[in-house]
Amino acid sequence: MELLQMNSHSFSTISTKKIIQMNDVWTSYDSKNYAVKGINLSIDRGTNYAFVGQSGSGKSTLLKLMNGMMSASKGTIKIDYQTPNMNDKKFKSMMHTIGYIPQSLGLIKNITVLENILIGALPRMKKFQSFFKIFPNEEIQEAKKILKLVGLSGKEERKAYMLSGGEKRRVAIARAFMQKPTILLADEIVSELDHFTAREIMNLIVDAQKRMNLTAIMVHHDMQLALEYSNRVAVIKDGEKILEIGVEGDKIVDFQTGDLTSDEIMEMYSDESKK
Amino acid sequence: MNQKNNLIVGIIIALVVVASYNVDANPVEFFEGIPNLAIVAEEMTQVEAELFGIAFWSMFETIQMAFIGTIVGVAISLPLSMFAARNLNSKFVYGPVRAILAAIRTFPSILWAILFVIMVGLGPFAGVLAIIMYTVGFVAKLQYEAIETIDADPMDAVSSIGVSKWQLIRYVVLPESAPHLLSQMLYMFDYNVRQTSILGLVGAGGIGFYIINYIKFFEYGKAAVFMIVVLVTVLIIDWVSVKIRDKYIIKSQHGMKVVKT
Ligand SMILES: Nc1ncnc2c1ncn2[C@@H]1O[C@H](COP(=O)(O)OP(=O)(O)OP(=O)(O)O)[C@@H](O)[C@H]1O
Ligand SMILES: [Mg+2]
Repeated sequence: MELLQMNSHSFSTISTKKIIQMNDVWTSYDSKNYAVKGINLSIDRGTNYAFVGQSGSGKSTLLKLMNGMMSASKGTIKIDYQTPNMNDKKFKSMMHTIGYIPQSLGLIKNITVLENILIGALPRMKKFQSFFKIFPNEEIQEAKKILKLVGLSGKEERKAYMLSGGEKRRVAIARAFMQKPTILLADEIVSELDHFTAREIMNLIVDAQKRMNLTAIMVHHDMQLALEYSNRVAVIKDGEKILEIGVEGDKIVDFQTGDLTSDEIMEMYSDESKK
Repeated sequence: MNQKNNLIVGIIIALVVVASYNVDANPVEFFEGIPNLAIVAEEMTQVEAELFGIAFWSMFETIQMAFIGTIVGVAISLPLSMFAARNLNSKFVYGPVRAILAAIRTFPSILWAILFVIMVGLGPFAGVLAIIMYTVGFVAKLQYEAIETIDADPMDAVSSIGVSKWQLIRYVVLPESAPHLLSQMLYMFDYNVRQTSILGLVGAGGIGFYIINYIKFFEYGKAAVFMIVVLVTVLIIDWVSVKIRDKYIIKSQHGMKVVKT
């Protein structure tokens, strides 16, 4: 219980460590209901940050706010000190540094695994080359290296629709790695997988994070998985962040609450983990 | 069935009867005309053998015209459909392109053929041009509709990488709509062979030219031979395109095996 009293509303001001900052962010799909309500958060470079929460709580929406696919109707968002906005030239030129794996993966089903992965290299290709699908040799080598890393060697010529669910996820991860990202946004990529495969894929991401100093923002359905792999876990409920936990090993090192009392939080937390 | 439905069916039947009277469509004449077919069949047996050579050759010309028309028409409609798709363009782009395509579609191919006969003279070239116009009007529409129904997820995922619009078209729109395009090409070719068969009626080349001439000179037996050649060819093309569709399109769309029938 000591931990619970440590602090609340502790959002530090900009420091060079902060790669993602949200300040009182609100957004909605229609003008009536807010999908995200007054979110504050601040993520350090290199963190593995997790969102957990029930279906419809706004987790996917939070990711879409970070890569500019949605815009905030109120509040400020800074990604590497830029405001995400797809129509802004400056942001568009940094979009390739944000790997995004949507909940539905977004693979192109009629092309091969290798071509799907090479799509991650398009922003650094010349117009002419990309139009005729002439990929430089070093990009193909890079793609094959990543393919091996995610455990898909030998499947490069398969059409994407011929893959299993787990393999498709690996392709989507590989495409994101191909971007050479500094931020990875991954939306429930291990939720539908068995215990073993889910951990295999999580290890893959955590390893890559260490190697590339990648910041990963991941949505999880399973609180257990989030606590196992993430440094910080934010619990989202009805568009609000109801608590945030800092984890080191199996110790909780930081516990921040929103406007709720600690008893209320504990109640919700046990609700979440029961699922 | 309730009262209201009965009433609607009654009204439709009444309308058909009234309209038939107006256009002079008399079922009695139809049945009285059936014996005439027997006469035509008898005349067919008297047709000299060389005529079959001419029939096949002119059918071959027809197929070639339909082939060129389909390929060139599809090639032109592809970029047009990219500009006409609402999910890729602002309305200032797709609006005018769609209006032009709609205008092209208002003409049946035979009217295009007349127009091109006036422009470039009698012969197959006019027919090819007519088929191209017709194909552009329809395939572009089918294609932009296919593009608009492309799954939004890969589009979003790839545009969030920060690719250019042309890269998006090349790497998402084209592959995702390719099975539709192939299917439309087959359908259009099939359809264009039938259409080209009648363009000869206005002097725009192909087998129809012979058919109309024989009919003009009351040589119904010869005309019937040519029509049967058209029929058989169309059936063969139909059959082949079903095979191609099964092999390449259905599989690539669903990744499933086609049940052999
Ligand atoms: N495209 C959309 N149009 C309208 N409303 C949407 C859309 N996408 C999401 N919403 C709404 O916004 C809210 C948050 O949705 P979001 O997808 O962020 O939830 P989620 O936490 O990711 O849920 P899940 O775990 O089921 O993926 C929900 O109430 C949802 O109904
Ligand atoms: Mg979601």
